Amino acid sequence: MAAASETLEEFRASLDSGESSSRALVEAALSRAEGIDERLSCFVRMRAEGALSDAEEADRRRAEGEARGDLDGIPVAIKDNMVMEGEESSCASRILEGFVSPYTGTAVERLRDAGAVVVGHTNMDEFAMGSSTEHSCFAPTRNPWKPDCTPGGSSGGSAAAVAAGLVPVALGSDTGGSIRQPAAFCGVVGLKPTYGRVSRWGLIAYASSLDQIGVFTRSAAEAAEVLEVIAGHDPLDSTSVPEPVPRFREALDGDVSGLVVGLPAEYFERSEGCDPEVLAAVREAVATLERAGATVREVSLPHTRYAVATYYLIATAEASSNLARFDGVRYGRRASEPKDLGDMYRRSRSEGFGAEVKRRIVLGTYVLSAGYYDAYYRKAQQVRTLLRRDFDAAFERCDVIATPTAPEVAFGLGEKTDDPLRMYLSDIFTVSANLAGVPALSLPCGFSRGLPVGLQLMGAPLAEAMVLRVADAYQRHSDHHRQRPPEFA
Amino acid sequence: MSIGVHPDYEVVIGLEVHTQMRTASKLFSPAPVSWGEPPNHCVHPVCLALPGVLPVLNVLAVELAIRAGLATHCTVHEQSVFARKNYFYPDLPKGYQISQYEEPICTGGWLNVPVERDGERELKRIRITRIHMEEDAGKSIHDAAVTGRDATHVDFNRAGVPLLEIVSEPDMRSPEEAVAYLRVLRSVVRYIDVSDGDMEKGNFRCDANVSLRRHGAEEFGTRTELKNLNSFRFIEEAIRAEIERQAELLDDGGRVEQATMAYDPGRRRTRVLRFKENADDYRYFPDPDLVPLVLDASHIERVRATLPELADARATRFQRDFGLSDYEAAVLTASRTFADFFEAVVEAGAGGTAAASWILRDVQRALKDRDLEIEASALRPEALAGLIAMVEGGRTTARSARGLIAELVERGGDPEALVAERGLEAVSDTGTLERVVDEVIAAHPDDVERLRGGEQKVLNFLMGQVMKQTEGKADPGVVRKILAERVG
Repeated sequence: MAAASETLEEFRASLDSGESSSRALVEAALSRAEGIDERLSCFVRMRAEGALSDAEEADRRRAEGEARGDLDGIPVAIKDNMVMEGEESSCASRILEGFVSPYTGTAVERLRDAGAVVVGHTNMDEFAMGSSTEHSCFAPTRNPWKPDCTPGGSSGGSAAAVAAGLVPVALGSDTGGSIRQPAAFCGVVGLKPTYGRVSRWGLIAYASSLDQIGVFTRSAAEAAEVLEVIAGHDPLDSTSVPEPVPRFREALDGDVSGLVVGLPAEYFERSEGCDPEVLAAVREAVATLERAGATVREVSLPHTRYAVATYYLIATAEASSNLARFDGVRYGRRASEPKDLGDMYRRSRSEGFGAEVKRRIVLGTYVLSAGYYDAYYRKAQQVRTLLRRDFDAAFERCDVIATPTAPEVAFGLGEKTDDPLRMYLSDIFTVSANLAGVPALSLPCGFSRGLPVGLQLMGAPLAEAMVLRVADAYQRHSDHHRQRPPEFA
Repeated sequence: MSIGVHPDYEVVIGLEVHTQMRTASKLFSPAPVSWGEPPNHCVHPVCLALPGVLPVLNVLAVELAIRAGLATHCTVHEQSVFARKNYFYPDLPKGYQISQYEEPICTGGWLNVPVERDGERELKRIRITRIHMEEDAGKSIHDAAVTGRDATHVDFNRAGVPLLEIVSEPDMRSPEEAVAYLRVLRSVVRYIDVSDGDMEKGNFRCDANVSLRRHGAEEFGTRTELKNLNSFRFIEEAIRAEIERQAELLDDGGRVEQATMAYDPGRRRTRVLRFKENADDYRYFPDPDLVPLVLDASHIERVRATLPELADARATRFQRDFGLSDYEAAVLTASRTFADFFEAVVEAGAGGTAAASWILRDVQRALKDRDLEIEASALRPEALAGLIAMVEGGRTTARSARGLIAELVERGGDPEALVAERGLEAVSDTGTLERVVDEVIAAHPDDVERLRGGEQKVLNFLMGQVMKQTEGKADPGVVRKILAERVG
C-alpha cells in the first residue's frame, strides 16, 4: 500500500522494484481520495474505471519491458478546466453541466502519452476566476494544513491534492497566480512556465493572453521532470513557442555559486499589507541561497504598482469574450422552456454562471466598450509593455528574481468572499509574471502560524531551467518541502 | 454638369463585398469547405467553439488574400492583426467572429470600371478602402418544415468558411456604376483564382451603402445599408428602390435615418430591418489566441510573381498591340475568359479592331440576351474569325454576318457552311445589282436630285434601299460604285 508521503521518485522506485504496481498506486489514490476528499473536496470527479484500466495497461507495458518513461503508471490529477476525450470537464461551473469532451488537450495528451494515469479532475474557482477555490459550483476545497482555511486558488484542488498526498503530480493553470498562490498556501511546488511554453489546446480559456498550464509537485526536480513531458511547440496553439524543450533536469546541479538573485525593491519596501512573518521567511530563504554561493542584488520593477489594475482590465476583457460561447446553444446548460432567444441567453447564463464570473464578464464588457477601449484596454496593453521592459532590464542584472508568492499565508474560508477587491490583492505578487509572460515558481520556504509560506522565483522568458535550478538548489538546503500537513503525514 | 440618376440629388454608393475564398479547409479549422452537404457534416471542434479549442490560421487563405490585394492595386501590409467582433447570435458559435479591424491585410487599392456618363463610355476609377480576411457564420434554419416545430435549427457547415471582405470608397454615383464595379471585381477574383464568385451559392455577395445629397453639396447625406444582395439584378433594383425611397423622404422635407435595409424583390421596395440609433458596439479587440500575421516583402513579391497577367496590364497591351480604345480594352479584359476569347479570335486571323468591335457589339449582345457567359456559349473563336474574314473579303455582308452571330453563340457551327446553306453570299453580280439600282433611282427621283445637289447623306439612304431589296446581301462596294456612275 502506497503511503501518502511518497514522492515521484519513491513511486517510481516502488514500480521499478516490482514492490508495487501502477494498479496498486491508482487504487490507493482512488481510495484515499474517497476517504479524505469527503473533507477536502480536492476532486470534482474521479475517473475510477478509466484510471484502473490505464494503470493495468501501464503495468503490462512495464512487464513487457516497454515502459514509456519516468511517468509511466504514475497517478496524476488534472484541473477541471482541462479536457480529455470521453470525460466531463466543467470548469467548476453549472453552465458546463454534463459537457463531455470529444477530444483531449495537448498537455493532458502528452502526460498520457508518457504513461501517466489521470485519476480525476480537481476543484477550482469557477472558470479559474478566484484566489480561494471558494467560487466553485462544488463545495470549496479545504487547505490540508488547516481545514478551515482555503487552499488558495484558482487551482486549489490540484494544490491540495498534492499537499495531502493524494497524487504526486497535478496539472493546474495560472492566469494571475492560480498555480503559485495555492502552491504557497498548500506548501508544495507550483510552476507556471513561460507563456507559450505549454500548449493551451484543450485548456478552457479564461484570459487567453495570460493563461498558462503548469504543474504541482513536491519538489522542483519533479516539476522539471513533468515540464519536460508537457512542454513544447504545438501547431494547434498559435501562441505556443516554437522553441526546443531543454532537458530541464540536467540543469539541476545544486550549484548557485556565481548566480545573482534579484530582490525587487517594490515588492519588499512598498509592500504595505504584506505579513511581516511572510517577509521574514522569504528573506531567510534568500539568505540561504546567499550562503550557498549566490549573490543578492536589489533590482527595480518600477511599474509593479500598476500590475493588479492592468491584470484585471486585460483578464476581464478577454474573459468577457472567451465566455460568450457558453450560450446554451450547442452544449452545457440551457434554461428550460425559454420564451425566446433573448430569454434563453439571459436565463442560461444567469443560472449557469456564478457571481464572480458574472462580475468579471460585466467588467470586461465595460472595458472593451466603445469610448472606453482606449482608456482601459489599450492603456492596459501599454502598461503591459512597460512591465515587460521592467523585467527585461531587471534580468540584465540578475538571474532570478525572488519575492514572496503571496502577501500572507492561507486565509480562512469565507474571510474574503464578500470583498472582491481584497481577494484580488492576493494576486499582487503573482500577476506581473503573467503580464510579462515570464516563468515563475513558488516553493515552500517556511511557516507562519502553522501554515506554509511560499517563495516566488521568477526568470527571464524561457529560462525555466534557471528558475528550477535555483529552486532545486534551495530545496537541497532546506526541508520545508518535506513537511507534511499533520493530518496527512 | 451631369444630372445623373436623379434630377435633384446626387447618388452616393459604397459597396462591401464578401467573397468566399477558394480553400479546401476553413479559415481557422481543418474542417472541409463544401457546399450542399447535410447540416453539420463539415464541422470540427473549432467550428463548434467547443471548450478549449484554439484557431489556427489557414495559410492558403493568406496567399489568396495577398493575391486579391495585389490584383486590386492595394498595399499588402507586412503586419496585419486578427480581431474579435463580439456579438451574440445562435449561428455564431464563439460569440464572436474573427475578422480584421484596425490592421487589415490590404488597404488603399482601386479598380478601373467601364461606365457610361452622359452617353459617353469611359473608364472610372473606383477606390478600394480595404480588404480583410474573416470567417463566415453558420446558418439558422427557422423553417418549420425543416425543424418540425416552432424551433430554430443551426447548421455550422458554413461556420468558419474563409471570406474576403472588400470595401470600396463611396465612389459610385448610380446603380449601373455599382453593378459595373461589382462585375469587374467579381471577374478579378475569378481571374486570379481567389474565389469562384458563384453568386447563387452566396460566394460573392454584397452590402450597399446608399445616400443622397443635393447636386453640388459637399457633405454626404445619411446613408442606409442594404444587406445581403446576391444577384446583379437585385443589386441594381434594390439600389434604385432605395434611391426612390430616400428621395421621397427628402422631397417631403423629412430626413433619412441610419438603418439597415432589406430588399423585397416581389414588391420592388426596400424596408427597414432595424434602425441604428447608436452605432453597434462590437467590442473589437485583437484576438489573443492568434499572433499578428507577419509577411515579409519577399513573400509578397513571390505571390505577385505567381499572378496571371492582370486585367489592366493586359488592357494596356491590347491598346498598344491592337490599337483598341481604353474602353474597349477594359471591357475585353474585364473577364479573363473574355480576353482569352478575343486573343483566340485574333490568333485565328482576325484583325484586332475588327475582332474587338464584333465581340463588344454583336457577340456581347447575343450573350446578354441569352444570359450566357462566353465560356458557356457555343461560339468558337475560329468561327468568329472566319466570319469576319468572309465579311472583309466581300463574300458576305456585315448585315448577313450579324444575323448569324446569335445562332453561332447558341448552337455553334461553321460560318462558311451556314452562309452557303442560308444563301447569304454577297451579291456582287453587276448585272443584277445594276437592275436593282435602276429601280431604286426610278422610285426616288427627289432623293436623286438632292444627291446631285451635294447632299451626301442621301447616298446612305439610297444604299439602304438597295440593301433592303437584296435582303442585305448586296456587296456595298459594288452598289456604291454603280450608284456613283448612275447619279454621276
